[in-house]
Amino acid sequence: MLSAYVSSYILAVIVLIILLTMMAYMTYFERKVLAVMQDRIGPNRTGPFGLLQPLADGVKLLQKEDIVPQAADKRMFLIAPLVSFVLAPVAAAVIPFGNTIHVFGYPVHLYVADINVAVLYVLAIGSMGVYGIILGGYASGNRYSLLGGLRSAAQVVSYEITLGLSLVGVFILSGSLSLVQILHQQQQALSFGALQVPNWYILSQPLAFVIFLIAAVAETNRAPFDLPEAETELIAGFHTEYSGFRFSFYFLAEYINMIIVSLMASTLFLGGIDGPIASGVWWLLIKAGVFLLFYVWLRATLPRFRYDQLMGLAWKVLLPLAVVNIALTGLIRLWGLGLL
Amino acid sequence: MSAEVVVFDILSVIAVLAAIGVVLARNPVHSAASLVVTFVNLAAIYVMLRADFLAVVQVIVYTGAILVLVLFVIMLVHQEDLPEFHGGRPVQRAAGFILGLILLGEVAAAVLTRSASVPSGPWTPAAVQSAGGNVQALGQVLYSGYVLPIQATALVLLVATVGALVLARPDLPRLRSARRETSTISLGHPRGTDVEPQPTALPAVSASQVKPETGERELVMAKSGDEFVDHPVWGERREP
Repeated sequence: MLSAYVSSYILAVIVLIILLTMMAYMTYFERKVLAVMQDRIGPNRTGPFGLLQPLADGVKLLQKEDIVPQAADKRMFLIAPLVSFVLAPVAAAVIPFGNTIHVFGYPVHLYVADINVAVLYVLAIGSMGVYGIILGGYASGNRYSLLGGLRSAAQVVSYEITLGLSLVGVFILSGSLSLVQILHQQQQALSFGALQVPNWYILSQPLAFVIFLIAAVAETNRAPFDLPEAETELIAGFHTEYSGFRFSFYFLAEYINMIIVSLMASTLFLGGIDGPIASGVWWLLIKAGVFLLFYVWLRATLPRFRYDQLMGLAWKVLLPLAVVNIALTGLIRLWGLGLL
Repeated sequence: MSAEVVVFDILSVIAVLAAIGVVLARNPVHSAASLVVTFVNLAAIYVMLRADFLAVVQVIVYTGAILVLVLFVIMLVHQEDLPEFHGGRPVQRAAGFILGLILLGEVAAAVLTRSASVPSGPWTPAAVQSAGGNVQALGQVLYSGYVLPIQATALVLLVATVGALVLARPDLPRLRSARRETSTISLGHPRGTDVEPQPTALPAVSASQVKPETGERELVMAKSGDEFVDHPVWGERREP
């Protein structure tokens, strides 16, 4: 019992460190990929291939003055970025990074916690994280920031519904909300005659996968849904007034959220650690990397949505599609169980 | 004292302090932020009671959706524009005080008559485990013993949804065909269309109404952005 707690804590620390490192290099990755897509060179001055650029950025931002505007709601202004940043990595606790292994005779689970409501837990953490943006936008005492915060509030509430409903199909098929259980379900192989197919939910829930992907981009405030920080109309939205490391807290929370959503998408729809040869955590990382590349690609390709288009897309297109998907999946499930 | 009691004490003290903050805060946004803290601590107490699902739903529904929408509204309101947010009407204060006392008495009565003497129900931790977990156990109970209440709740929510749709419907539907169809939802325009009704043509200006061009124009110098407006620029401190 105690050893389980200890191994959980050790794993939590390892996951946190890896996540923070990945987050730093995600900024490098994004700048490099964007540069290649726009026919530029990208960061190449600091260290070999510019690999020390995230470090240099961090040091630079730490040295900047921490400006608090006179009109700001001071306490709230100082706390709000921390809310975003602290809550972002917490969601990684329920993502399974591998099967149970044995270290010195003790069984060690490669997940921090297998709770029965894991997927809902991730959604709950996501819905809490938006408070950093809303309160930061309010506390800045700036109209642009306030508008950014308001947009974020409306956007997150709308897309969270879509995000949750798109996952219901997966829940119906797997019969569980636990990510570990969902992963186990996907590791069973389906065979159609001679053809062996993994039971990945992207094959049985393609519509849910597409809806999840779109809603996840909106939920993480990324282009083309980055309305809360639209620089062309709102200067920089909710973080106009932030400087130095408080600004970077928002920035880094966004990247951690991207990584977590990618890990979630890989685990929920693409079989997570499961792969054609040598299953392991590297498959999860490869799949998450593909999603991260997709994120960057989107940013390089698509222009920003208009605000009413964004809300219209959520409520008039994605939500009905998600409900249709739930109804179809439920009927097929009943038919499969012989109840129809 | 076991570790569980210590954790419970910490959580409940923070929850109660934050709840006091909700009432005492001068700024409604601060009240809402305190309420977030209360809800999260309450969710943590649910987790201690092994009600994982309830805890997560509490965070998603109350903290993640309802409070965000409440914040959405009160962030747009000037603190000074709120009518008597604190104090003011003595009758309301007295009524609030008495209702609060009654609520406190009810809670005290419930705690005193219930605690420790009631035998535990059928859902022991072992029973929940054998049902497959917290979510499964809750689902079995809700969809076997409580089907009718669930459907009644669903109906009430449906009525509320229809009511919201009716309120948000563009008024005067017969005029809509004259306007440009936009088929968008716009938060900036609560009626749902982003086109103003076309103004009727202005009457023609007669030659006597037109001032002759002199080249001289009164020059107005403003000392600050809100010198000639009734309301100050948002966020700037108003002198008391």
